[in-house]
Amino acid sequence: MLSQNSLLKRTWPMLVQSMEAHRKPRWLPVAKSKIYRIPKRPVIPEEERLELMRLHNNYKTQMRSIRRFYHEEMIKERSSRESASSEMSKRIEAEEWVKCVELNDSWNKQVAAEREERRKHEVAALEEYALKRMEALDKLKEAKIAKAAEEIRKQKELSKTFITPETIDAAIDHAIANPVDYNFAIDLKGNKYEGRDTQITRNQGKQEKAASANA
Amino acid sequence: MVLPPASGTGKYFVTAAKSIRLIRQGCTNRPFFHISVTHRKRLNTQPVIEQLGSYDPMPNANNEKLVALNLERIKFWLGQGAHVTEPVAELLGLSGFFPIHPRSYMMAWRNRRTERENLAKQEAEKAKEEATK
Repeated sequence: MLSQNSLLKRTWPMLVQSMEAHRKPRWLPVAKSKIYRIPKRPVIPEEERLELMRLHNNYKTQMRSIRRFYHEEMIKERSSRESASSEMSKRIEAEEWVKCVELNDSWNKQVAAEREERRKHEVAALEEYALKRMEALDKLKEAKIAKAAEEIRKQKELSKTFITPETIDAAIDHAIANPVDYNFAIDLKGNKYEGRDTQITRNQGKQEKAASANA
Repeated sequence: MVLPPASGTGKYFVTAAKSIRLIRQGCTNRPFFHISVTHRKRLNTQPVIEQLGSYDPMPNANNEKLVALNLERIKFWLGQGAHVTEPVAELLGLSGFFPIHPRSYMMAWRNRRTERENLAKQEAEKAKEEATK
């Protein structure tokens, strides 16, 4: 099954424009006007043909030898490379390996020193951060406690006026003795009429005005 | 979408046949060719194994057609048994890396012949004009 990755990472496009897009498709027949057309064969004189054959034969022979030369050279090079990897090159390789290891160690040391320093800085920064956070938390807690204490003080002050089982009878008596009616109405002028069943006389203001004018 | 690099992806099968060929890289009315090594059965639009040179068929200001060749790598690929197409073989022949291709000889003598014929025609016309005078 095709994986999605292989589709996304493919090296060449899915749709490639063909070089022969302008040609007519293969399944179309020969055009009517071209049915009886016989393409003209190239006429090569006998002399030229022989000359070309000679040249080609020469060329092919030379090319074969060139090819063989490069092929043999490749084989020789490969074999020399392989033989070189026996003693001399092994010694050289070992030396190079030691050199590489030394270089690597020195780099590692340097990197380790850098890392140590960096870690120190990081730990210091972390400590500072943690301390800051702890301080902030302490402050918050203190503020909360202070707020709660204030609340408690207020409640204690208020508790003197609370109705307790001892004072409940007196409170009931007091309430019965002093009934409070919260019903009231307000007219457009802002006059307040207390009580639920208070009778309101209309045109009261006019009458008053008239009375004042009379007087 | 990322197009494959023209200089080659370096991916190939060791046992598959290779060919050193010209691959057209120019645009409309401006041909330019890369000399690349690819699998013999690959299309010219597909990624090549390696680019070995370039060929600019349009003469420049100094009337030169420039060819660049990486002969070291061409030697390597010939050693690996890569085939060489005819146009590339002609270019290599003219550069002195291969023997001159027979086709180059043929083109040369045909061009010479047409030139000779043209000259003869011109001379004949001149003679005719003189005769009429």
